[in-house]
Amino acid sequence: MNITLLREMGLALLFVLLQAIVFNQINLFGIAVPMVFIYIIFRMPLSMPTAWLLTASFFLGLAVDIFSNTPGMNALACTILAFMRRFVLSLYLPHGSDYVAETPSIRGFGLWLYVRYSLTLTFIYCVLLLAIESLSLLDFPYMLMRIVGSTLLTFLFILCIDSLSQGREKRL
Amino acid sequence: MRNLIDFLIKHHAWIFFILYVVLSCILLFSSNPYQRSVFFGSSNRVVAKVYEVADGVSGYFGLRKANEELLMQNGELAMENMQLRRQLQRYSYAAATDSIAMSDAMLQQYDFVLARVINNSVSHLENYITLDKGSADGITPEMAVVDHRGIVGIVNVVNEHNSVAISVLNAKLHVSCKVKGTDCFGSLTWDGRSAAYAVLEEMPRHVDFVPGDTIVTSGFSAVFPDGIMVGTIHDYAKQKDDNFYAMQVKLSTDFTQLGVVRIIRNHTQDQQQLLEKEARQ
Repeated sequence: MNITLLREMGLALLFVLLQAIVFNQINLFGIAVPMVFIYIIFRMPLSMPTAWLLTASFFLGLAVDIFSNTPGMNALACTILAFMRRFVLSLYLPHGSDYVAETPSIRGFGLWLYVRYSLTLTFIYCVLLLAIESLSLLDFPYMLMRIVGSTLLTFLFILCIDSLSQGREKRL
Repeated sequence: MRNLIDFLIKHHAWIFFILYVVLSCILLFSSNPYQRSVFFGSSNRVVAKVYEVADGVSGYFGLRKANEELLMQNGELAMENMQLRRQLQRYSYAAATDSIAMSDAMLQQYDFVLARVINNSVSHLENYITLDKGSADGITPEMAVVDHRGIVGIVNVVNEHNSVAISVLNAKLHVSCKVKGTDCFGSLTWDGRSAAYAVLEEMPRHVDFVPGDTIVTSGFSAVFPDGIMVGTIHDYAKQKDDNFYAMQVKLSTDFTQLGVVRIIRNHTQDQQQLLEKEARQ
C-alpha cells in the first residue's frame, strides 16, 4: 500500500481525535468553535479524482459527527465543501493557468493565495454547518456572530498548523 | 444502455455528490433518534472508549475545587442531619405512644448511582453528556441526572457500560420547574445562548417572586424528584401573550465543569407513567 496514503489517513484520524477531545471543548466567548479538522480536506492533492475526494470528505465528516453526537451535520457540510473546493480555487487562479502546486499549502501556493483559498473555504464551511444546526433553533443575529467567530478562529488555527508543517516537509 | 453507461461515467462526480448529500440528509433527518444515537453517537462503544481514555487524563483538572465544594456541602448536610436528628428525637417520644409505623419502602422511593462524565459539550444547540455507567449498573432511559450543585439532564440512550444523557443545555429538553415555596410551575428550556443561563417559560403572572428567588424542580414529571436545585431568577419579562412570564434562570450547575454526577432511580416512575397514560386515554 502507498506510504503517502497511509500517512494521510493516519493524519486524518489524528485530526478527528484532536477535534473530538480538544477543539470541540473550546468555545471562545460562547460564539467561536474551531473546526480544525477541515484542514484535512484543504490539503488533499488537487489531482485526486472528485469521486475519491467526496468519499474521503464524507467519511471524515461522519467520523467527527459520531464523536460529537450530530449525525449527518458535519458529513453534509464536508461533502458540499469538498465539492466546492475546485470552484473556489479557480476563482483565485488566473483563467486557464495550471495549478501551482500538487498539494495546497503555504509553501506551494504562496501566503497570499493560500490565505484567500483557506479563508474562503473556512467561511463556506462555517456558514453551511451553522445553517444546518440552525434548523433546530433559528436565532439569526446569534448565528451570524457564531459564523464570523468560528471562521476567524478556525482560520487562525489552520494557518498556524500549515506553517508548522512547512518546516518539517522541507527536511523530508 | 450504452448511452446510460456513458452518461454515468461522464457525470460520476455529480452522482457521488448527490449520493453523499442524500445519505447525510437521511442521517440528519432520520425519524428514529434511538438507532441514530446508538450507531452514530457517543454511546457507540469505540467512541465511549476514546472519551474514557481522554477523561483519564483531563479528569484530574479541577479536582481541588470539586473537593472544596464537596467539603462545604458535607458540612451543610452534617448540620441538617443534626437538626433532623434532634427533631426525630422529639417526635419519637410522641410516636412511642402512637402505634402507626411508616413502612421503609415509602421513604425509599429514590436511590442513586454515581457516574463519571466522560464527554460533555456546551457549544452546540443540542448538547449531550456521555456517562460511564450503563444497563449493567441498572441505568435505564428517562432517569434523572444531577450533580451536587443542581440538575444536569435526563438519560436518553443506554448500552451495557455507557449511557448518553440529554443535557439541560439542549433546546429539545423541557423540565417542569417551580419557584421554591410556591406551587405554580413553568417549563424550563434552553435558548442556546449561554451555558450559565436557561429560560423558564409559561410562569403564571400572579406568582409572587423577585430576582434572586430559588427555582427548583416541581416533581410533576416522574423523572426529577421534587425540590432539586435548578438555579436562581436572574431576570424576567412578559411573554408575547401577556398572561405568562418568561424568566431567565441562572443555573446553579456549572456545565463547563461536570465531573461526577448522580443518576437518580425512581422506583415508582413506571407506575406513575402507566397511571398517567391510562388517564389520558
